[in-house]
Amino acid sequence: MESIVFGIGITALAGALATVAGAAENTESDIGSQGDPNSQVQLAPQMGYLHRIFNKAIAGEPPAWGLWIALGAGIAWAFMAMQINPILAIVLGAALATFVQGVYATTAYLGRIASLAKFGQPVFIDILKSMTTVTMAHAFVAIFAAVTVCHLMNAALGHPFPLPLLGLVWGIALGAAGSATGNPFYGKERQYQNQKYGAGVPIAASGNIVRYAEAGERNSLDNGWFSARLGGPASGVCFGLIVFLELWRTVLFEQIGAGWGAIIIGIIIILVFTVIDRYIEVWARKNFGAYVKPTEEAS
Amino acid sequence: MTVKVEKIEGGIPHTTIMIAGLVASVILLYLTYANIAVGTEYFAFFGGLATVAALIWGSHTIKVLCSYGIGTGVPSAGMIAFGSGVIAMLFATKYGIAAPIVAIVLAAIIGAIIGFVANNVLNMRIPVMIQSLTEMAIIGAVILMGYAAMMTGSFELTSLITGKVSILGLSLPSYQASFIGGGLIAVVFMLGAIAIQHPFNACLGPSWTQDRMLMLAAECGFLSMITAAVMSMAIVSMGAALVSLLVAIIGWYYTYTKYIELSYRDAASWVDSKPIPETEGQ
Amino acid sequence: MSAIAAKPAAGAAMDMTSTLIGIIILLILIAATYFVAGSGLAFMALIGVIVGGILIGFGVHFVPVGGAPAAMGQAPGIATGVAMLAAGAGLAGLFGGAWAAELGLVVATITGAIGGGLLMAVTCMFVNFIYVFGMGIPSASGKVDKDPITGDTQKEFKSQGTEGHGLPFVSYVGGVIGGIFGGGGGTLIYLMLLDLYKVELPGMMNALPGQVLPIAITLAGIFAIGIFLVNAVLAAYNITGTIEGPHDPKFKRFPRAIVACAIASALCGMVAIMIVAV
Repeated sequence: MESIVFGIGITALAGALATVAGAAENTESDIGSQGDPNSQVQLAPQMGYLHRIFNKAIAGEPPAWGLWIALGAGIAWAFMAMQINPILAIVLGAALATFVQGVYATTAYLGRIASLAKFGQPVFIDILKSMTTVTMAHAFVAIFAAVTVCHLMNAALGHPFPLPLLGLVWGIALGAAGSATGNPFYGKERQYQNQKYGAGVPIAASGNIVRYAEAGERNSLDNGWFSARLGGPASGVCFGLIVFLELWRTVLFEQIGAGWGAIIIGIIIILVFTVIDRYIEVWARKNFGAYVKPTEEAS
Repeated sequence: MTVKVEKIEGGIPHTTIMIAGLVASVILLYLTYANIAVGTEYFAFFGGLATVAALIWGSHTIKVLCSYGIGTGVPSAGMIAFGSGVIAMLFATKYGIAAPIVAIVLAAIIGAIIGFVANNVLNMRIPVMIQSLTEMAIIGAVILMGYAAMMTGSFELTSLITGKVSILGLSLPSYQASFIGGGLIAVVFMLGAIAIQHPFNACLGPSWTQDRMLMLAAECGFLSMITAAVMSMAIVSMGAALVSLLVAIIGWYYTYTKYIELSYRDAASWVDSKPIPETEGQ
Repeated sequence: MSAIAAKPAAGAAMDMTSTLIGIIILLILIAATYFVAGSGLAFMALIGVIVGGILIGFGVHFVPVGGAPAAMGQAPGIATGVAMLAAGAGLAGLFGGAWAAELGLVVATITGAIGGGLLMAVTCMFVNFIYVFGMGIPSASGKVDKDPITGDTQKEFKSQGTEGHGLPFVSYVGGVIGGIFGGGGGTLIYLMLLDLYKVELPGMMNALPGQVLPIAITLAGIFAIGIFLVNAVLAAYNITGTIEGPHDPKFKRFPRAIVACAIASALCGMVAIMIVAV
């Protein structure tokens, strides 16, 4: 009984940390325009829309985050193997991984912008200085939280994988959940704020991203502020729920029926999410209605 | 059947880069064997340099492959390279001193078959597909072997699976605190997979230049080497790890400043705290 | 992700000659393993790896991925890369399956499958959540007029100038099925290799089974990840990056992905087995 209570506590802590990691991950990638919305930041200068948005094309989010978390976990593992206190080891691992992330961010921006020289897009050094530091701060939060989750799984819950392998697995999952949830909110809702609300961006409008802010010219910090409103927290809850439910069903129900308990609970959870999803879909169809004869609006 | 999206203009031809990368990485890998010959671990950093050579070659192979629209992102090419490379590399480590050669031959076979599968069975019909995936598998195997040699001092299986734990000054052998047992292979897998695709992914665009991309590839290699050197502290002796770290930091600093210079050369303009320039398009 | 917009014009048809050559290669690989390693545990491991690889390759075809256009609400699906999304789900499944490894092959594989499905269920639900409550956009498919499961009409919910957006119910179900196949396939590869290594490694290294367990787990884990990525990327090449789900016409290309994944898995699996069997 005591071990189950302990397990539940660890599960809740891991879920909470994963939520923080997911929220920070999405905000970080949106400040850098990483992932799929990056294509528009790349396209805009080619269509004649020069901008002051950070273009952090390191890799897609899942592989990039697979590296950051695995790297943080690997360095933390190495320091722990050298008999350093786990908390300090995780902080050092996250710090070094953040340094690598920051260097990759600068080379990605410089590389992409220099390759756009044909279209006259200048390299803005102030962007590099102010945005990189902010993405690094978010990255540190996400890496620290995610590596801690992996350490809890390994040390407290007894998962057989070593820490770096867990880092790779959950880093890719973190990037997948964060990019799936957060990308549309940044890509459509923020980059194309000038387009009609409640409709997809017409393909003809591609590249015409919003480049001016409430005052002055928009930069990626404005986008981080916007993402932190919904995209970030939603990504956080998404990843937090994944980690929490996965651990919860195993810790509580694996002993029942030689493992079948956890499977049945897993199926029930999937069915519950299916019902919620269907409810959302029907709700939207009923309340928003169809796009009956859309008005001919110039885009 | 396939549209070639970007042309390779000028610069060093791909064959030259391929041969140079292959020869350099094999020689550098064998230089780590000096560790066993002399009985130290100080030559481990040659493994890191082998990864840098292989990464430069690999980034150009990715450039050749991805100039054809392959339908999915650039990073996936790095993933398939390392997915097939890791298997060849671990198998080859059984063969002692012949390991690098076995790894290259085996990776070439695996890569060629996967390339055939992608090109013919999946009907992708990309002229360079088979050659590129063959090269990618070799590069993946060589890079992983380079990191293994750098972090353990040797590329033989026994040293990859045994480590040591020191408790209260006592040094005990342990399988858990080893390159493979501790899962560090997962870290170098991702280090290589991102470093190999990043140079082309970051430099693609109409004003792509070869020297800038290759410099970035070297920079990524040295940056990854820094972190690998830090992780190697848990496995090799502290002195050897510090030598690797020093070499990596010097190499990284040099290539990073060079890369910024090249970006400065290629960029349309280089401004600080300036508004968006006016163009006729507005 | 890539700025390269041109898609290869890969034909939808199967190249019969190449497929036959591929199947012959597959049979040679299986036969070679049989002659080298016999019909024991190693051979069973190879069969398990091939089945796992086929499950992964087949599963990727179910995962609705829209790529870059999906992030702008221009195309339906999840806005990320198909190979990596499948890897996220499959590896999360592998996490669960590895944890349940001692409960037996069947239970652990199903646990892994459910783990992958769980990740996709939560993620797909949140995609629709963001589209509906964050952006006010209902889901609509661009490839079919009616959702094959619910029968909802799609055309009038498609906004002007786009190919659809969000995840219609059939895509949601496809995502969950894809996660289940990916998680189950990845776990199966891991378990088969782990069983083999647990038996063979102690003899090979002159050590106690308990001592080599970390080595066996990591070797099996990294090979499972490697084989997973190879199969996921091959399947992603087959659908040229984007697919809406099981109702998409591109889904019909899956037979050649199954052949391709079987060959690639057999090849990688054979080498992974030879590490201990030769």
